[in-house]
Amino acid sequence: MGSTNRKKVGLVFFPAFDWAISSDHPEREERLLYTRDQIVEEGLLDVPGIEEFRPTVADENQIDRVHVCVPSTSEVVTKSHMIAAGGTITAADLVFTGQVDRAFAVLRPPGHHANRIVHGSRGFCTINTEAIMVEHIRHTYGPHLRIAIVDTDAHHGDGTQDIFYNDPGVLHISIHQDGRTLYPGSGFTNERGGPKAYGHTINVPLPPGTGDEGLLYVLNELVLPILADYQPDIVINAAGQDNHYSDPLTNMNVTAQGYAQLTELLAPDLVVLEGGYSIEGALPYVNAALLLALAGLDYSQAVEPDFPGDKIRQRPQVTETVKTVVGELQNMWVSRRDVDLGRIFGEGHIFERQRSIYYDTDGIVEEQKEQIRLCSVCSGWRFIQSGASRGFGRTTIAAAVLIPRHVCSECENQAQDLYEAALKKRGFHYVYLQDAGNDIFLKAQRKSGTK
Amino acid sequence: MGPVRKFYQWKQLISNCRKVCFMYILGIDVGGTNTDAALIKDGAVQAVAKVPTKHHHLIDSTLAALDSVLQEQDKDIPFQLHLSTTLSTNAIIEEQGDPVFVLGIPGPGMRIEELNLGFDVEVLTGSIDHRGREVARLNSREVRQKLAEGLVSKDVGLAVVGKFSHRNPSHELEVKKIAREMVNTETDGFRHISLGHRLSGLPNFPRRLATSFLNASVARRQAGFADMVEELFTKGRNVKRIYLLKADGGTMTLKDSRVRPVETILSGPAASIMGAGSLMTHKDVNTVIVDIGGTTTDIAVQVGGLPVFQRQGAEIGRHKTLVPALFARSIGLGGDSEVHVAHESKNHIGSNNSPKFVLGPRRVGVPVALGGEKITPTDAAVALGLAALGDQKRAQRAIAEFGHEIGLDAKTAAKSIIGAFVNQLKTAVCEVYQYLETRPVYTVTELLAPKDIRPRLIVGLGGPAEVFIPMLAKAMDISWEILPHYQEANAVGAAASRPTAAVTLHADTALGTVTVPEMDYAGEITDSRGFNIDQARLQATKWAAKRGKQFDITDLEDIAIIEEESFNMVRGFHRTGRIFMIRAQVRPGVRRVSASKGWADEHLQSKPTLRRGQSQDQKQEEFHG
Ligand SMILES: [Zn+2]
Ligand SMILES: [Zn+2]
Repeated sequence: MGSTNRKKVGLVFFPAFDWAISSDHPEREERLLYTRDQIVEEGLLDVPGIEEFRPTVADENQIDRVHVCVPSTSEVVTKSHMIAAGGTITAADLVFTGQVDRAFAVLRPPGHHANRIVHGSRGFCTINTEAIMVEHIRHTYGPHLRIAIVDTDAHHGDGTQDIFYNDPGVLHISIHQDGRTLYPGSGFTNERGGPKAYGHTINVPLPPGTGDEGLLYVLNELVLPILADYQPDIVINAAGQDNHYSDPLTNMNVTAQGYAQLTELLAPDLVVLEGGYSIEGALPYVNAALLLALAGLDYSQAVEPDFPGDKIRQRPQVTETVKTVVGELQNMWVSRRDVDLGRIFGEGHIFERQRSIYYDTDGIVEEQKEQIRLCSVCSGWRFIQSGASRGFGRTTIAAAVLIPRHVCSECENQAQDLYEAALKKRGFHYVYLQDAGNDIFLKAQRKSGTK
Repeated sequence: MGPVRKFYQWKQLISNCRKVCFMYILGIDVGGTNTDAALIKDGAVQAVAKVPTKHHHLIDSTLAALDSVLQEQDKDIPFQLHLSTTLSTNAIIEEQGDPVFVLGIPGPGMRIEELNLGFDVEVLTGSIDHRGREVARLNSREVRQKLAEGLVSKDVGLAVVGKFSHRNPSHELEVKKIAREMVNTETDGFRHISLGHRLSGLPNFPRRLATSFLNASVARRQAGFADMVEELFTKGRNVKRIYLLKADGGTMTLKDSRVRPVETILSGPAASIMGAGSLMTHKDVNTVIVDIGGTTTDIAVQVGGLPVFQRQGAEIGRHKTLVPALFARSIGLGGDSEVHVAHESKNHIGSNNSPKFVLGPRRVGVPVALGGEKITPTDAAVALGLAALGDQKRAQRAIAEFGHEIGLDAKTAAKSIIGAFVNQLKTAVCEVYQYLETRPVYTVTELLAPKDIRPRLIVGLGGPAEVFIPMLAKAMDISWEILPHYQEANAVGAAASRPTAAVTLHADTALGTVTVPEMDYAGEITDSRGFNIDQARLQATKWAAKRGKQFDITDLEDIAIIEEESFNMVRGFHRTGRIFMIRAQVRPGVRRVSASKGWADEHLQSKPTLRRGQSQDQKQEEFHG
């Protein structure tokens, strides 16, 4: 590794030492303590080319570009979330203003399980920090920027997938432990995106026991060729570290060295920490190795002190399964334009889907019905009806009209009408309009008297 | 007996220590050019003096300064000596330190070759993790072998530094023990041994390496100096105690300076900041201290009466250290700075096309008013009559000539240069605050409700301060104060400084361990369930007091917790213990000093006046700072 690979790296580090989801929750004050200890003790912040930055606090506008928080952003989102989101925005600004070549946002809490509609917290996530960063980038630095997100957290990045489901400007690749064996139970190869972004969602479910070998195989054989095709303006790595062999919540066998190699190969512009709860055995070493790799420094000795060697070697049948999955996805990518979308989304004017979403962290059940206009010009409006209940409590019903970027006038008019109609319709407690192109967010609450 | 009662007893002890006899304190700062001395008693400056420094004769310079300040006084008065020298600083900057054999125990992590330390490190196997657990043992045969290699060259110092040794010093201690054993059997040993954990309880392995290396490299020199000082001052002079000034503005005993000589680096700049802090009138307001010299201007910051420190430690030459140091920024702007005319860029056509001046960062030499060749900001001030210095006519002619070339009359040119000076200074001060206000913080509370550090007062030092500080204050819309004795503020600061000592306590109730690296202490917690934050604080405070006693600190009243962290440890949805990190310090406060009675009212917000009736040489000195 020569000095020619040296990159200037901005580290946005915010461990929120005074905030936890609850006192015994894994998403706790202590989570990044040992990472801090390791980074400082290694002297990484004194290395020329690595500089630490303080996060800004995101504002509600920046969150409302991505989410529809029910009943309201201020009631759902805490200051800690706004700092985590603000940290990703800081990271993006550092890169786009040229202050650094790459930025690494080591923040908590994580965000990739947060969907567009937010009733509360699921998978330890309330708002989607990466998505907020992406919308900030497109709003500030150009709506036409092509963005690729590679999510390497052991859990499926279902929230990010949901947010960019029908967004052709974002390529979302999630590499995770097979949903049949792990929360949130989704992320299969047949989840490939909405009617106007079909093929832009790529899910790589890996069998339990996948290690560095499998992860790097996916990267080399699938991710890098796809990125070469897609030609993104910016590559984001959602760097969850719960694929580590020591993670208590998952069954993957990735090491600090494996993660650093992945980082070197992927060469992301922006890296955002997601999950990872082996706070002593994994995070200090993975984060240090990742930072070294981002800076183009020698990471070969950044290994876990308890490195188990052969014990975590990937078993042959795991390797076979990884190869099969990758083979299937390679074919899917190559033939993505040949797919008969009519067979998947119907031949009508509107595609409709219904889902039930469980918020494990807050114990909320959400029932969602979504309609997307199948427009030949733009990616079409989306109309989402969402009812959420906590235990035996009242069901809160919300409706949201989403107007995509680069919308056609017909869709825009229809969306306005939909919003007006929703306002008049009984049964919705809250009605929202999110207009990405015009950066407008409207919120209406039904007066209790008109019920 | 429980810890609370013990604490009480100790409190008693320190109040007895309060009965210190008041005596004269003599502060001496041996700088590169001048040696300054200040004598204070009962919080008032009695006399100041300035003599030229004789290079490589620090003792002579010290004596000369001492004699000039004690001239009028009784030579037999008992006094306490506070000494600041550039001995270690220069040895490091000029790379004149002694050879040091450095043994590092890095364990896994960044490769030591990537650290670019500027000295060689021999690597030992063995490693400690972030909680102070031993992960890999030392190989004693390898240690012996390496030590033998180090001892091949005669008269070499030894530095031993392990990663995370501040959490568990056992490896460093083990290496030292082996080195000692070898002395008895094999060689006459290393000249000096520095162990990383004893020099700092803070994290940062590369900085700990550099700190220990530098400590060992200047140890012989500092010991020699201490010998001389002891010899000279115990003979014939009535010196009660001798202290040396440190980079954090505190003092240390002569004895301790033999063990931790690296802490005496950069004591000169620290002395000036402490001097400003002790001489200013409104001591508790947020203050920016601006010391304007000929070549550079130093900017330091006080918040609520306390100086701001470097985040991790002093930086000296190419080395980043863990030596506690006051925060200061130096910019290339001063009374003798070069004056350039900025060329208008093309897209500014049509806008106000009066030339823009840029000052510094180079120094051109003495001002024209004092016989120099090129105009300086000082000449602009002299030309306008803002400063009485040298030949005003000469300055005015030079400014007129300079202005003529760029189409400005003399007065406008001079005013523009002064304006540029104030602008650049203001920008630099704002950048300092911008930097300090955006330093990383790690809690939601600190991020959302940051401490107000913005200055309400500018304190000016240095010759050009009288001209520029009031203007800077006006531009920033805050109060200002020019200090008396600014020429000797460093010596006053040295005299006013008090001893400091800090300890770092790390307790881990899950492992049942407590360490205080600076004190070589690694103990066990007997009652892990009952060990709480109060006990952690109490223990840290006690260790700080113990540390203070080691350092001959008699005034132990003011021990403060300066940093504190405590964490619940959660494993598998259960609390398994707590981790505490407490730093306790004997406060590095300054004695409050006044110049003379009634001075304060006269000088605060007063119009700058220049002292007249001095010889030209003296004035030049004054204006250059
Ligand atoms: Zn995860
Ligand atoms: Zn359309």
